[in-house]
This record gives sequence, C-alpha cells and structure tokens, in this order.
Amino acid sequence: MSAPDATALSVTEAARLIAGRELSPLELTRAYLDRIRRTDGHHGAYMTVLEAGALASAAAAEREIAAGRSRGPLHGIPIALKDLIQTKGIRTTCGSTILKDWVPDADAAVARRLQEAGAVLLGKLHLHEFAFGPTGVNPHYGTPRNPWDPARMPGGSSSGSGVAVRAGLAAAALGTDTGGSVRIPASLCGIVGLKATYGRVSRAGVLPLAWTLDHVGPMTRTVADAALLLQALAGQDPADPSTAVPPPPDYRAAMQGEVRGLRVGMPREVFFERLDPDVEAGVLAAARALEGLGVVLEEVALPGIGDAAAATFAIIAAESMAYHGPLLRTQAAAYGQDVRTRLLAGQFVLATHYINAQRVRQVVRAAVDGVLSRVDALLLPTTPIVAPRIEEQEATVGGIRQDVCAWLTRCTRPFNLTGHPALSVPCGLSRGGLPIGLQLVGRMFDEATLLRLGAAYEAVSPMRDRRPPEP
Amino acid sequence: MMSSLSPALLQDIAEALARLPIAPEDLPLIQAQLEAQAEGLGRLDALDLSRVEPATVLLPPAEASR
Repeated sequence: MSAPDATALSVTEAARLIAGRELSPLELTRAYLDRIRRTDGHHGAYMTVLEAGALASAAAAEREIAAGRSRGPLHGIPIALKDLIQTKGIRTTCGSTILKDWVPDADAAVARRLQEAGAVLLGKLHLHEFAFGPTGVNPHYGTPRNPWDPARMPGGSSSGSGVAVRAGLAAAALGTDTGGSVRIPASLCGIVGLKATYGRVSRAGVLPLAWTLDHVGPMTRTVADAALLLQALAGQDPADPSTAVPPPPDYRAAMQGEVRGLRVGMPREVFFERLDPDVEAGVLAAARALEGLGVVLEEVALPGIGDAAAATFAIIAAESMAYHGPLLRTQAAAYGQDVRTRLLAGQFVLATHYINAQRVRQVVRAAVDGVLSRVDALLLPTTPIVAPRIEEQEATVGGIRQDVCAWLTRCTRPFNLTGHPALSVPCGLSRGGLPIGLQLVGRMFDEATLLRLGAAYEAVSPMRDRRPPEP
Repeated sequence: MMSSLSPALLQDIAEALARLPIAPEDLPLIQAQLEAQAEGLGRLDALDLSRVEPATVLLPPAEASR
C-alpha cells in the first residue's frame, strides 16, 4: 500500500492491516505527518503538531507489535486531541491566549487511556475559545476551514477535530461536548460524532466549561471506529466522581446485532420544526432507509422539551461564569468578545433560574426516559442547518432569523441536559454540497444500540463513499 | 424582566454583585443575549415545579442495573 493512501483508511481497516503486518504504524504515521505538512496550511486544523513524539510512539508501537505484544486495535493508530484535553509536557491552549504557554504536568484521563491503548498522538487541534461556542470561529488562532467548502465554518467547539478527521489529517480525534460540540462539527464536516452517556467517559483533566453538561467523545469516519474508541475511553475513573461503576459492554460485538424490529421514535416538537429543507429531506430519507432495514418508526412526544433550551442556557451560563469568574476579573480583555460577553451574561442568571433549570432537567430527563421505555432510540437531525459561512452571525430558516449559535445547538443541547447518549452520523449532502447529520439518541448507558443502528444505517447511507474535494 | 434591564443597570449589578465591571462596548451584546433568553427564563419561573427536586449533580444519571 502506498503511504498517502493509508490516510484514507478507517481506524478499523488500518487496525486490520496492522494486525496482519500489511501496514506498519510508522508508515501510517509518516503518511499522516506528510499530509498534515502538505495540506494543513489550507485546513488549519492543528494547533500543535508533535512530529518527533508521534514518530517515536509509532516506532515503539511497531517494535511491540513485532514482538507479539499488541495492545489491541488502537495500537499504532495516529489520533489527535482537542486542545482542551490536558497532555503532560505538551502545550494545551484551550483556544485561548491566556493559556498560550500552559504546559500541563499530567495527562487527562482520556489521553492516558488512548496512550495505554497504544494510539499515536499526532498533535493538538483547534477549537472555539474555551470550547464556549458552536461555530469554531476563533479570533486568536484562526478558524479551521470546512473541508467541503473553505468559506464555511467547521462547527464547534471541536472545530479542528471535525476538520482533521474529515480531511484525512488524523485517523480519529477526541472532542468535548457541552451543548453539541462533538456532534455539531461532526454534522457540519460529515463525520461520525458520539457523545456517550454522562458518566460513561471520564472528564478528569479536561478543562471544564459546565461541569454538569460536559462530555468527552470520539470523532471518527465510521461508526465502527467510534465503537473502537469508546471501548478504550469508557469506564470508571476515581478522578471523576460522575463516572459510572458498571463496566462497559463489548461495543464491537454489541453493534453486530440485527436492527430489524427495533423501534425508533421521531420527536416532532422542537427537533423537526423550522429545518433547512435539505436537512429535513436528508433526515427523512435516512429514516426511510432505516425503515427499509426493518426498523419500526413512530412519532413520539417529549413533554417539557420546549423548556430544555432555557434550562440549558441557565446551567451553562451559571457554571461557566463560576469557573471563569476569577480569570475574567484579571484578564477580561484577553478573551474574544463573543466568549467574554457570553460568559459575562452569566452574571445575570439568578440562583433561582439555575435551580429551576436543574428541576426542569429532571422533568425533561424523565420525559426522554419515558419515551425510551417504549422505543429503542430517537431519530432527529443533528443540526437544523448546514454549515453557515464563516462570517455569518445569523441565519434565516422558515422566515425566522436567528443567531447562528441558537440554530446550531437546538437539536443537540437537550441531551447534554438529560445526559442521554447521542450519535451523529452523516446522512447526505445539501444541494450546495454540504453535509447533513442524522442524530440518534439512546437509553442511558445503551450506546451499543445507537452504534448498532448507526452502523446499519451507514452501510446504506448515500454518504458512505463520499469524500470532500482535495485542497 | 431581563428585557427591561438597561445597560447602565447591568453595569451597576455587575460591579456591585459580581465585582466584574463590564466594558461599555460589551454591554449591548450582553443585553441582546439576555433579551434573547428572557422569555425562556421567564417560562422556567412560571412552571409548576412544586413536586420536582433539582437534578442530582456530579453523580451519573440513574443507572440501569445492566
């Protein structure tokens, strides 16, 4: 296999070739580094490239595998991390100039788990400043370009992760998701993004945005790859008291099952209101494709879902302001204006708003649990719109003009509020050639059913073999 | 409620309660954000939540026994 082709392989395919000694980790890593060198000037995905470290890790992986000490399917696979995830001895900027020289003295739990699984760290990826925004536009370090159209935003906050995976600059990446920040760039860039159940993956060592909404998740080119990464990431961590005790199942085995007969609910209120017509057509076509595989679709209602947006706003505003308050007191001018004003708005959220939001959280969570006791998953769009132009502040859909951030987060935020697992899978291109995301939401800790549904859909999806143009 | 807060009042509240003065050029943006959320936050105030306790935080959601 020629080296440049190796960057087009999924993690699953590369792992199979590495296991069969048909591809070496060093060869694969060199192919990625070469592609980063040639094209990241155009894409702008990387904050920091770790060429020497990646080559050393790949060489070590190669030696271990040759000696018969394989650590599993991620051994020798080149991955990259959102630059909000702490890495020992490696600069971690969080997309902020305030932390431009911060070098953590310990790895985040997720970074350590990937390292233990033998993954090769290629580098750290761009993001919306402090992960507080869904567009990926960053006034300090520049904005990664959407691989399908460089004039379009990649989505955020895990902007570099979405771009790097879609553009072949990493085999997989990690993002974080407080209001949709894994799923939104996955949708806008045309890749798979998984926010597992709150408590499934440790947040220890990841700079917080809002403690009770934050999640870490894999961003990959295929659903099977997301399962491989989740397997390595999932599990209890004493350093994160929110992590769940029961061990995760074997996701690869669980996702092989039949989807015929699974029941999937489509919640019309909020999620299917005011959609870009191309998004609506793409998601409905995906629903029909699942129906063709024997999935039983039905409309469902989620009482209280209309209050989820306000509750999420109150929680994220209060929690983020509580974290950033000390920094804002001394370095307010160092924040970009969009993030600074978003944070400062949190001063005017009352304690009663926050508490009532936490009560609404119970109501909405119970409503979603109730529906998911009758159906196996929910199906909805990931984002109501396709990628806006980078400079766009507002967008109009169905005659309603609204802030781009409100459009982008409408369908994702409710599941940060409830903690349910949610998977975004590419389901088509708009007439303008921009990706559309299908979102599947599952029962608490039942990521396996989502992966099974997602993989079954992916096999018949019109996006299966679609790639963005080369720069 | 929030929609009637003037930039000057926002500035006074910020300084008095949070000890975080706001640059004048940021005030219109903050006011616009609060106005956009005012209706939703007002609805939270109006809900009958008398039988609902706040969500437990820092613990995983009710785990299925699986």
